[in-house]
Amino acid sequence: MEPIVIAKNITKSYTKGLRALDNVSLTVNQGKVLVVMGPSGSGKSTLIRTFNGLESFDQGELNVLGIKINSTHDERKIQKIRRKVGMVFQQFNLFPHLSILENITLAPINVQKRRQREANEYGMYLLNQMGIDSHAKKYPNQLSGGEQQRVAIARALALKPKLLLFDEPTSALDPERINEVLDAMRRLAQQGMTMVVVTHEIGFAKDVSDQVLFMDSGKVIETSTPDIFFSNAKHERSRKFLNQLDKH
Amino acid sequence: MKRNRKIFFQLGIFIIFITLIAILINNLTINLLRTGIGFNFNWLLKPASFSLAEHPLPYSASDSYAWALFIGWMNSLKVIVSSLVLSSLVGTLIGFARTSKNSLLGLISAGYITIIRQTPLLLQLMFWYFVGFLGLKDNISIHIKNLFKLSNQGIELPGLTLSSEFSALLFGLSIFTSAYIAEVIRGGILSVSRGQWEAFRSLGLSERKGLFFIIIPQALPAIIPGLTSQYLNLAKNSTLAIAVGYSDIYAINDTIINQTGRAIECFLILLISFLLLNLVITNFMELINRIIIKPIKHN
Amino acid sequence: MNLIITFFIKLRKLFFSNVLNSIISLIIILILFSIFFNIFGWLIFNANWKVVTSNLPLYAFGSFPANQQWRPATWIISLLTLSMLTLLGPEWKWLRKNLLLAWISTVPFGLYLLYGGLGLLPITSRHWGGLTLTILLTLCSSLLSLPFGIVLALCRQSSFPLVKKLSAIYIDSMRAIPLISVLFFGQLLIPLFLPVGIEIDRVWRAVFAFTLFVSAYIAEDIRGGLQSIPSTQIEAANSLGLNKYQIIKFILIPQALRIALPALTNQSIGLFQNTSLMAILGLVELLGIGRSILANPEFIGQYIEVYIWLACLYWFVCTIMAVLARHLEKRMLINQAIV
Repeated sequence: MEPIVIAKNITKSYTKGLRALDNVSLTVNQGKVLVVMGPSGSGKSTLIRTFNGLESFDQGELNVLGIKINSTHDERKIQKIRRKVGMVFQQFNLFPHLSILENITLAPINVQKRRQREANEYGMYLLNQMGIDSHAKKYPNQLSGGEQQRVAIARALALKPKLLLFDEPTSALDPERINEVLDAMRRLAQQGMTMVVVTHEIGFAKDVSDQVLFMDSGKVIETSTPDIFFSNAKHERSRKFLNQLDKH
Repeated sequence: MKRNRKIFFQLGIFIIFITLIAILINNLTINLLRTGIGFNFNWLLKPASFSLAEHPLPYSASDSYAWALFIGWMNSLKVIVSSLVLSSLVGTLIGFARTSKNSLLGLISAGYITIIRQTPLLLQLMFWYFVGFLGLKDNISIHIKNLFKLSNQGIELPGLTLSSEFSALLFGLSIFTSAYIAEVIRGGILSVSRGQWEAFRSLGLSERKGLFFIIIPQALPAIIPGLTSQYLNLAKNSTLAIAVGYSDIYAINDTIINQTGRAIECFLILLISFLLLNLVITNFMELINRIIIKPIKHN
Repeated sequence: MNLIITFFIKLRKLFFSNVLNSIISLIIILILFSIFFNIFGWLIFNANWKVVTSNLPLYAFGSFPANQQWRPATWIISLLTLSMLTLLGPEWKWLRKNLLLAWISTVPFGLYLLYGGLGLLPITSRHWGGLTLTILLTLCSSLLSLPFGIVLALCRQSSFPLVKKLSAIYIDSMRAIPLISVLFFGQLLIPLFLPVGIEIDRVWRAVFAFTLFVSAYIAEDIRGGLQSIPSTQIEAANSLGLNKYQIIKFILIPQALRIALPALTNQSIGLFQNTSLMAILGLVELLGIGRSILANPEFIGQYIEVYIWLACLYWFVCTIMAVLARHLEKRMLINQAIV
């Protein structure tokens, strides 16, 4: 089993000595799904945003797909990583001025220099996989939140990434739209995609994840398999967090 | 490495920029030498030897160019300040009319705004001057008792005589600017949420009281920046004075260039004059902002 | 019958809903009637429209040779057709691909028709005038100032302090001075900055000066657009591996242009009106032609007729431009998410 992400002692501090990330280490192996949980402000989003260089860090070392980056934030290496790592955001962040298909083919055509026709064909295939190929010519604001998020997943897949990062992909959705996105993510996991998912969806974490990582105040509190984490979490803080989630 | 590249890049741009400027200045000096004009400001102290129809301070043709420019400045300020007041009054009225519940009033103010905004200011100024004032025949003048007299000599009020040039410019600028100010006022009033109207109505406040105590204070923060830019435009537009023969700062610069050929010096003078003027207007509006808006926000 | 009754009820609701409103409405209607009566009476019985009717070719084409006037006429008709096409235009996609190109190509097409050469009788710019010249000045200056304005806006947002400072100084000082001075000094100073022997004629000096002036305003409009693009758009583009220039080209500029579109169309309507300033700087565009006709002893003193006619023309073209602009904005809105 090949490790896709290896993080070693990553630390990121804000100006007043507050730590967004405090000595975080983890490994994600190929084909595995890691779910990151934790209260808001615990640093989970910051953590996965370091994986594709959207956030820099002050100490430690990160190895993504064999490319090593550290606190110097080398643009060229980060660019290399971004071509192999897809990301899906909480607010979808589709490009409002491009059609759905253009959103998906923008990067393949301009970053990977694929031919337009080839990119379109693959884009249509991905949209078909996500069950939204009939919307290809529409623009993002004509779609529902769930549909937009599925387009965002297709866009992230268009570069044929080795790793997918999800930053609270269902938090901005209406409750009745959440499942259509989670189902798409389930199918990806079944196809063997390596994923790191920040989410509060316990059901998804139980069914799909191979490991759950729980964070609080920038620190990794515990890393367990979902069976253990949800029935018999090792840490007091994890149990407290799960109790609060249950109440909602 | 990255930092070095950045500095290198900037240096490159700087060198290109300097070369470009150098070529332009080189051409300029060649041309200035060829025409024998040169570049200096000594001429400012020489007698202007042109007369001015309007001067708020004593002025004669034997005074210096510098003094003539200063008179131009005063004339500009005079027309800018008076149009500023007049256009604000008219503009506010029309802005309210535009948002009024009386549809006919709204329709008419909309018509006024489209006619004024969709035709060039220069055309309007010429209309006011040639038709509005010079069009009046010598014997036709409008008298209202002894208080107000309108003729091709301008406007006469007790203790105040306004030349036809000044009056035409004042009218044209004020009417033109008022249409824009009306839109600013309307935008400000519309920016206050509908809930606020419903709230004061539900409290039993009358429409007028609600407008003055609830709506306008909240609309002001949106109105002031719009007004500032309209006042800046007004100041710049006042230079069209030259079309009706009023001697403002620009018209005097124009005369001086025709007399002396000192285009570059005059351009610099004009540039500095307007930078100053803009500074005055923005600071004035900032002051108003501080006096009116801040207390509202704190309460 | 029912329709008429509801119409009157509606009318009553609109104008006579309460006592005060009714009084205001009545007074306004009375004043309006008297004004319209007077104006229409004057327009029909007193005005002498010969100053307009006998000079129509002058207003349209200036002193363009009579037997060649089909050339500017063709150009203006093609512009009108294109405007109609844009208004009735089919789906946006098709519009973007072909109509934009068509609009841009109207400029070289018009210049060819006006200048002549290549089979047409050459005519110098001294003979250009009237509405033709006004439209030419507007089109050329807007088309030139758009790219220039975009570059200025990007420079002002750039991470190089020197570039940022220089463009800020340029933009701020251009916006501080009146247009008439830029045009006047453009006519005077541009020849001074050129090498000896190279000359640009009045029309192009005017276009150049307009471009220098308008691009500063356009730059600020586009900067406003750039600033209102949420940073998450840049993050999303970054996560897809697009580089800095690709982000500017594919994400920032298209979105900034869409956001700034209403401001940009206002700029070009303003520019159209402001070309009239060239009338006092020696070009015989629409207002200039009006002035020179008024200087003709035959028509002396007929200010009102000429000015009303010119005002109508300006108003009409401005309205066409505004309608086109609103149409374009609506089309753009379809694919603009409300963020």
